Amino acid sequence: MSYSVLALLILLLPAAGAILLAGRGWRLPRIVTQIVGPGVVWAAFVVTVVLFFNQVNGDFTYWTWIKSGSFEVPFNLLIDNLSLFMCLVITGVGGLIVTYSVGYMAHEDGPSYARFFTYMDVFIFSMLLLVLAGNFVFLIVGWALVGLSSYFLIGFWYERRSAVLAARKAFVMNVVGDVGMILGAFVVFVQFHSLTFAGVFRGLVHGCAPTLSCIFGPVPDSGMIELAAFLLLVGAVAKSAQLPLHTWLPDAMEGPTPVSALIHAATMVTAGVYLVGRMHPIYDVAVYAHGAVAIVGAVTALFAATIAIVQTDIKRVLAYSTMSQIGYMFLAVGIGAYSAGFFHLLSHAFFKALLFMAAGNVIHAMHDEQDMRKYGGLWGQLRPTSIMFLIGALSLVGAIPFVGFFSKEGILGAAFSRPGNLGLTVWGIGFVTALITGLYTGRMWWMSFAGKPSAQRPVEHPHEAPPVMLIPVAVLAVLATVGGLIQTRALGIGPSLVSDYLDRVVTGQSWEESSFAVYIGLVTMLVAGLLFLAAYRMRPLTARFPWAQRVLEHKYYFDELYNAVFVRTLDRAADVGFRDVETPIIDGSLAGAGTRTTWAASYASLLQTGYVRNYTLVFVAGAVIVAVLLLARFAS
Amino acid sequence: MAIAVFFVAAAMAIVGGVGVISFRQPIRSVLSLVVVMIALSVLFLLLSAQFVFVVQIIVYAGAVMVLFLFVIALLGPARESGRGRLRFQAGLSGLFVLAFFGLVYAMMQGVQFRQPEKTDLSVFGTVQSIAVGLFTSYLYPFELTSILLLVAAIGAVYLSRRDER
Amino acid sequence: MGKLDIGGSQLDTSWFLLLGAILFTLGTVGVLVRRNPLIILISIELMLNAVNLTLIAFSRQLENIEGQLFALMTMTVAAAEAVVGLAILVDIFRVRDLEDIDDLSELKG
Repeated sequence: MSYSVLALLILLLPAAGAILLAGRGWRLPRIVTQIVGPGVVWAAFVVTVVLFFNQVNGDFTYWTWIKSGSFEVPFNLLIDNLSLFMCLVITGVGGLIVTYSVGYMAHEDGPSYARFFTYMDVFIFSMLLLVLAGNFVFLIVGWALVGLSSYFLIGFWYERRSAVLAARKAFVMNVVGDVGMILGAFVVFVQFHSLTFAGVFRGLVHGCAPTLSCIFGPVPDSGMIELAAFLLLVGAVAKSAQLPLHTWLPDAMEGPTPVSALIHAATMVTAGVYLVGRMHPIYDVAVYAHGAVAIVGAVTALFAATIAIVQTDIKRVLAYSTMSQIGYMFLAVGIGAYSAGFFHLLSHAFFKALLFMAAGNVIHAMHDEQDMRKYGGLWGQLRPTSIMFLIGALSLVGAIPFVGFFSKEGILGAAFSRPGNLGLTVWGIGFVTALITGLYTGRMWWMSFAGKPSAQRPVEHPHEAPPVMLIPVAVLAVLATVGGLIQTRALGIGPSLVSDYLDRVVTGQSWEESSFAVYIGLVTMLVAGLLFLAAYRMRPLTARFPWAQRVLEHKYYFDELYNAVFVRTLDRAADVGFRDVETPIIDGSLAGAGTRTTWAASYASLLQTGYVRNYTLVFVAGAVIVAVLLLARFAS
Repeated sequence: MAIAVFFVAAAMAIVGGVGVISFRQPIRSVLSLVVVMIALSVLFLLLSAQFVFVVQIIVYAGAVMVLFLFVIALLGPARESGRGRLRFQAGLSGLFVLAFFGLVYAMMQGVQFRQPEKTDLSVFGTVQSIAVGLFTSYLYPFELTSILLLVAAIGAVYLSRRDER
Repeated sequence: MGKLDIGGSQLDTSWFLLLGAILFTLGTVGVLVRRNPLIILISIELMLNAVNLTLIAFSRQLENIEGQLFALMTMTVAAAEAVVGLAILVDIFRVRDLEDIDDLSELKG
């Protein structure tokens, strides 16, 4: 089978799974759903691995979707190291999570169960389309579909009002980002007269081809490129829940835990990072937008970490942690350290999915209780899950030998060594964030797993999760433990497989890794680790400053701000529209057309006297008029 | 001589016409109409329409008027009584009718008659010439007219049926 | 040109047309003013006859046989119409004694 067919197969397998489950899933025995749902994802993973080992590289066009004069939009897939890397993450980690959810969602009835896996397969398909697309149009299609799948999955338990509201909020904010993306694509098209990545990037490097008529001259206008880069950044920020379009992510935890693991930790929220990486030729030119990426990432990282300290719901802590870690990824790609950013994407996928699923096991054991204050002492009772959770937590903090250390310190080291002020600034922010990460992670750990069981525990003797839920978590735990070994650049020695692999595709400017950075990295780890341990005893600083506590608990009042500025205004505008425009004018004119016709008709009906002689008189009168007209015509 | 015939026939026609619309009893009205028809047939003869002259007397005066007479006999002598409900009808009718007549008269003043085609007046209006016209150029209207008569006959029979109760 | 040479004397076509107009007008008055339905029908026949006269007059003036053919057709149609109209009238008379056509005003409004 040729590589182009295989590439298409990666997309078709989850699509086929989704269609089958959507059409027939709830009528077939449950085992079918349990096999097809995760099965197609694993099959896609296998195909991806085949392509990976064959080092396939190509731009495969399957058919031309739109062709109008010189404007052409093909359906093409771009297979290169970056897209294969992303596919491995999506199908591999995705496969583990979908397998896990076979057990987690077991309490659902037949139709619901099938519906869940349908949505999951749709999501996998959409995400794959997003990373494999070879032109802006299908990138945006995948982008939008991913947002749609997120809406479906967040609001999966649609009887819950809070879930529905959260889904709606996520979707609306995603759409804001979509608008930015689309406008960015418009600007790109105006500049380069092409929507394929190959065409656009070639235009960037060589200037516009002499056969095309570029509106702004033979060399692309850097101002327009900056604009395009900023607009695309809007899309990335919305999808990856960075400031200021971040408020939907914590609410998205209303969805089932596997959804949080897959979409809001490992894959969808990383789409923004992928976008910046894929568009790196644009960002290499648009230096202001590029810097903005780094700043947004750094600030979000710190911001989210501070909020995570005061959260009481275990999933919310993880949500803000995700926001923070993605901030790190944005930071990395923002300063040009693309492979460092993507390595962190990979490692974050491992340990964050691990943490979410382990948390899911805990929630499952605690009969759907998510408040950490009601946990306590789980180490003794849920030993396997606790161990795996610990591995994830230590990875998050960035402790050796777990993968989190290598990826996070990889980023911080690159930032530190980078010449110029930007690098040092964001390093500083990242450093402080790493310390706070230690704090909140430690708090989460000690509160839930250590100490005595809380008096408010819903379950006295919780029991562990079934194997179908434990094994994927274990696999991720292993990956989190040994994964660091593929890229140990943070220690200054050893292999750097990820950088080697990705640098072939995403090359920014590169700089020498300062040797000092290694020591800085180790110091960071130590201090963070100490804070982790100290969190056992330490009451959060914020408790001493009640006003700070309140600000953090209200998430810096962003929700209130948006509500007042946007929601309230639109509500009032809609009210005015309905009361003053819709009802009197539009409804009125339609109903009025009816009443006015009736009124006119009531006058017209006076002509119908019912008397024959009146009618004949009218005939004669008509004849007279015709005679007059004839006379006038022939007289003149 | 022809002029005298014309004026006599015209006078008869007008008197008959006035009679048609004036008599209270329908039977007198019908008889006045018969007078008008005979006067008109004379005028047709004057205008070299021999065949039409004969047909007018046989068909129109002879058949259609007889039909009217039979219906009057069937329905009995009805008399109009009273003033009628429509007060303005007479006035307005007079107005419009006068206007109409005036207009027609005015139109007639400006009429410029076309030069006639040269035909042999000795065969004009004879049965042969009518037959030639009816059965060649105007065959289609002729056939349609006969179908019309058929339809009318069927309609009349149906409408005057007595419902079996 | 309107002059007609008939039997040696000179007649004018417009005399015939004028006569036709007068008869037609008389018929119209009858239809509008009289209330007995039979008389209305008869007045209509008078109008039709007037039209026939006009047709024949023009046929003679233009020396074109078509006018007479048309008059024949008109006569036929008039006969058919009289038949059907009378049939309807008889039908109405079966149900009620109709003297005044203004009594038939159920289609008012």
